[in-house]
Amino acid sequence: MGAIEKQRNILDFTLSSLGRRKGKNIALVVVYTFVIFLLASVLFFTHSLKKEAFLILQDAPEMTVQRLLAGRQDLIPTHYIDTIRQIRGVQSVAPRLWGYYYDAMSGANYTLMVNAELNDRAGEIIIGNGVSMRSMSGKRNQALRRNDIIPFKTYDGSVLTLKVRGLLPFASELVTADLILVSEADFRKLFSIANDQATDLVLNVRNAKELSTIAAKITQIHPDTRPILREEILRTYDAVFDWRGGVIFMVLSGVFFAFIILAWDKATGLSAEEKREIGILKAIGWETSDILLMKFWEGSAVSMAAFFMGIFLAYLHIFLASSILFEPVLKGWSVLYPSFRLTPYISVYHIATLFFLTVIPYTVVTIVPSWRSATIDPDSVMRM
Amino acid sequence: MIRLQNVRKVFNADKANEFVAIEGVNLSIDSHGATVLKGPSGSGKTTLLSILGCMARPTSGRIMLKEREITSLPERFLTEVRRETFGIVFQQFNLIKGITALENVMLPAYPNGEKHASLKKRAMELLDLLNLIGKAFSKVEWLSGGEAQRIAIARALINNPAIIIADEPTAHLDTRLSREFMEIMRQLKKEGKTLLIASHDPIVYDSTVIDRIVEIRDGKIVSSGDIP
Repeated sequence: MGAIEKQRNILDFTLSSLGRRKGKNIALVVVYTFVIFLLASVLFFTHSLKKEAFLILQDAPEMTVQRLLAGRQDLIPTHYIDTIRQIRGVQSVAPRLWGYYYDAMSGANYTLMVNAELNDRAGEIIIGNGVSMRSMSGKRNQALRRNDIIPFKTYDGSVLTLKVRGLLPFASELVTADLILVSEADFRKLFSIANDQATDLVLNVRNAKELSTIAAKITQIHPDTRPILREEILRTYDAVFDWRGGVIFMVLSGVFFAFIILAWDKATGLSAEEKREIGILKAIGWETSDILLMKFWEGSAVSMAAFFMGIFLAYLHIFLASSILFEPVLKGWSVLYPSFRLTPYISVYHIATLFFLTVIPYTVVTIVPSWRSATIDPDSVMRM
Repeated sequence: MIRLQNVRKVFNADKANEFVAIEGVNLSIDSHGATVLKGPSGSGKTTLLSILGCMARPTSGRIMLKEREITSLPERFLTEVRRETFGIVFQQFNLIKGITALENVMLPAYPNGEKHASLKKRAMELLDLLNLIGKAFSKVEWLSGGEAQRIAIARALINNPAIIIADEPTAHLDTRLSREFMEIMRQLKKEGKTLLIASHDPIVYDSTVIDRIVEIRDGKIVSSGDIP
């Protein structure tokens, strides 16, 4: 009981001490919070993007087969399906039709994809949240609704009007934000794609271990194709996001070092007043360990407050304010997303890493100089 | 109660600015009495008081407290001895600014692990005893010199020490407040406390509270007789 009361008493005194040096401590907390905010923002952002990418690819086919022409992707003839289906181990092969559509009105690129459910509903589309938010029909500040009519410019400049049948649920906005689902007939009409051609083929296999063997067989039968495995795409996404996160970390490392210097200076440079106080406390019967305990609580209070505020602000920034600070750096692939909000994913591992890289070193840094002061002879205070 | 044997204290030993503050001091302080260390500035009063109050270690010699040798005790134990045995009133009062008078009084008892409520109650009783109850929640920088010193006395008494040490306690007080201080000391002596005061103020050493004057000059004791 005594030990707990002692901790409580010293903590009590520490908190009232913090209030006495308002200027210094507020400055420290503000800078500290900012650093945590930046670091946590990068972590949240890259982690959520990776998670989103993983979600997209989770339902992706195990293998996609594209046709290459002069090193570029080209439409693939649908008769390739028959030969590929005959390879042992292939469970199913299906053609896919998809592409991009640039809308000059909203200045954004949308992804158009054929959906089998719409095949007997030609003239209708289902749209993603991003599309609905920024109207393609010119009603800029008004969300698109069911039964709204959207004009599309076809390959020859004529207009094809399609009616909104509904909105996509937004479990993952990265997948659905810019997506427009259309019927096969409308897609072929828009881009003038012949009936015996598709964008690519997707296939499922019976045994995932045979994927690379099947891929090799496909390139043997159709040397103009390129099979892409889901695992490869996942690895690429991971590498890209890690690389982007790494770039930001490099930029932020400057900020981080600036913080270390400030923290060192602010936390370690005990003022004459603080040294005098330590001397008084020793003279009236505080042990060196009591003073270190007080400094430990002081460092903990500052760093924990800054840590939680930084994490909270980073959460708001990334998941509610659309990561406005580093969207251009981290996303930066196109003008794709008129409005984009990440689904929150937070890793406990990342929070713990951030904690051990900031709170622990800061707390240690504040204790060291106090330890030097706390070991002075208590009689020095007699001569003040 | 406290016995010093051949105590010597040297500052900056083996350096060009080496200074011998105390030389060959032998002194016995009995319980329940009031002793004044008298001498001019620089005579070694404060150094001797620091050694007697376990705030500094002698360069050589021995210190016995209640027949227990404490000269070579590790810092942790020495601090415990200091906290439990001595209450110290500093010349500059040395109160901690920015916190209340009450918190200042409670500070020396924090490491004891006493319940906050009972500690606060004791501190309030002490403030009441010293007519400072109305100032309990005032910041110490708002207090007058006399009030600040009484807060310092209350702080010295919070751990109920056997010995009260005061270093030049009247140096910053006028005559009325100095006499008031000596009255408080009289009260404490009556309660059985041992008083050790360093001073060269006649209000202190001529007071009827004082039983013994130890005169120091150039770090040596020149007389240490009881007052008849």
